[in-house]
Amino acid sequence: MQHRVAVTGMGMVTCLGSGVKANWEAVTAGRSGIGPITLFDTERFATRIAGEVRNNFDPEGFIPVKELRRMDRYQHFALVAAGEAIRDSGIKFPPDDPWRCGVVIGSGIGGLASIENGHNVLLKDGPRRVPPMMIPMSVINLAPGIISIKYGFKGPNFGLVNACTSGTSAIGEAYRLVREGRADLVLAGGAEAVVTPLAISAFNALRALSTRNDDPEKASRPFDKDRNGFVISEGAGMLVLESYEHALARGAVIQAEIVGYGATDDAYHFVMPDPDGEGAYRAMKLAVEDAGVTPEEIGYINAHGTSTELNDKMETSAIKRLMGPAAKTVAISSTKSMTGHLIGAAGAVEAIYSVMAIKNGVIPPTINLETPDPECDLDYTPNKAARREVEYAISNSFAFGGQNASLALKRHSENGKSPYRI
Amino acid sequence: MNDLEKKVVDLIAEVLVDVNKENIQMNSKIVEDLGAESLDIYDMIALLEDEFGLEITDEEVEKIQTVQDVADFIKDHRKAS
Repeated sequence: MQHRVAVTGMGMVTCLGSGVKANWEAVTAGRSGIGPITLFDTERFATRIAGEVRNNFDPEGFIPVKELRRMDRYQHFALVAAGEAIRDSGIKFPPDDPWRCGVVIGSGIGGLASIENGHNVLLKDGPRRVPPMMIPMSVINLAPGIISIKYGFKGPNFGLVNACTSGTSAIGEAYRLVREGRADLVLAGGAEAVVTPLAISAFNALRALSTRNDDPEKASRPFDKDRNGFVISEGAGMLVLESYEHALARGAVIQAEIVGYGATDDAYHFVMPDPDGEGAYRAMKLAVEDAGVTPEEIGYINAHGTSTELNDKMETSAIKRLMGPAAKTVAISSTKSMTGHLIGAAGAVEAIYSVMAIKNGVIPPTINLETPDPECDLDYTPNKAARREVEYAISNSFAFGGQNASLALKRHSENGKSPYRI
Repeated sequence: MNDLEKKVVDLIAEVLVDVNKENIQMNSKIVEDLGAESLDIYDMIALLEDEFGLEITDEEVEKIQTVQDVADFIKDHRKAS
């Protein structure tokens, strides 16, 4: 038996603020969260801007100080966002049947700052001084691990590494766990904190990051002709996915449903997308088919939209191929224009924005879209949010390594009459 | 408490953030009385080594039971060096 999969809780931390409410207010107002890097001295760096988590992030109010010291920044984000999602879902903890509750968290790199710190200590003070917690602070599976410790979830639990699709892949795999009946409830999402000296210099070496240092709020400009790379950022997004019956039985508020997931790989290049967009197209197509709808029924696409020339063109052509003439009318936006690119957390944060778009009938904009790239000629909801009722949305993520993943989400009807096809 | 003992108590309190500093006595047993777990011991050793510029071997760690043992170890080690 296949189960319907409900989203019953959401939590997030980004450069736009802590919490879904603060984030939704910011993205619908078209506010940028990009600013100068403060986490380290950037004097010698080509890129000196990022989407840092700053305002109102207070892990000390939530995580005991001793535990806080034993966690990397990416784990702080994961735990705080998970806490919000759990509270939002209203699930009590420890849960009645902990073996039926799982955690799946994606991250691109995990605790890179802890690795850099450990290595610096090794070089400066020798092997005996390397911090004992460096390994648990850096590995990716400890993000789901610490969440399970806090909430007593004892079901399927794993970390997932898929570069910039990590968050979307984690939600997709969690969706499958719930749909196939292998768990009643799975907390799923992504977390990342790689605004670090090593990461910025390495992405700079790849010429991947925008160097618009003098105008940070304008630096992330997906689908705009004057883009010059993506803006790296940090944070986390977490969703509580739950079988429809389980959610109904405990009287939970169903915020949306996840109805489809598609995953492919380009098998093309280390860091470039296949310009044909075949892999991206097929990931979206699989998600739409999984949902049992036609592409024309999709009302909103939260694009991967990185603000790199190769991605933006490839994604545009893949959407055109998927939707045919309907590509001209579907609402598209890249919230990365405001959040920057959260790497392994991006897909999770964007899935939450997609749920909010469906719930509220509001499409967040793509800001900084001032001079459209002639090869990117669809409706990217330029600069201002738009009102629009959406029944189905898809959220895209594509990654270095050629990984592609798309989620299909559906509006939840209060009267329960909404059609659902498996 | 002399200055060294006060410093040791401060450092142990820094690691064992859940323990009220007034409850840390020189005869307190670090594991049994103060509730330190293995990760706390690692943290404590790293901090003591940094602070006093010395090296504590695993064998020596096993002999340290109380806060007084820590202070004595540091005193002896300083004398020896």
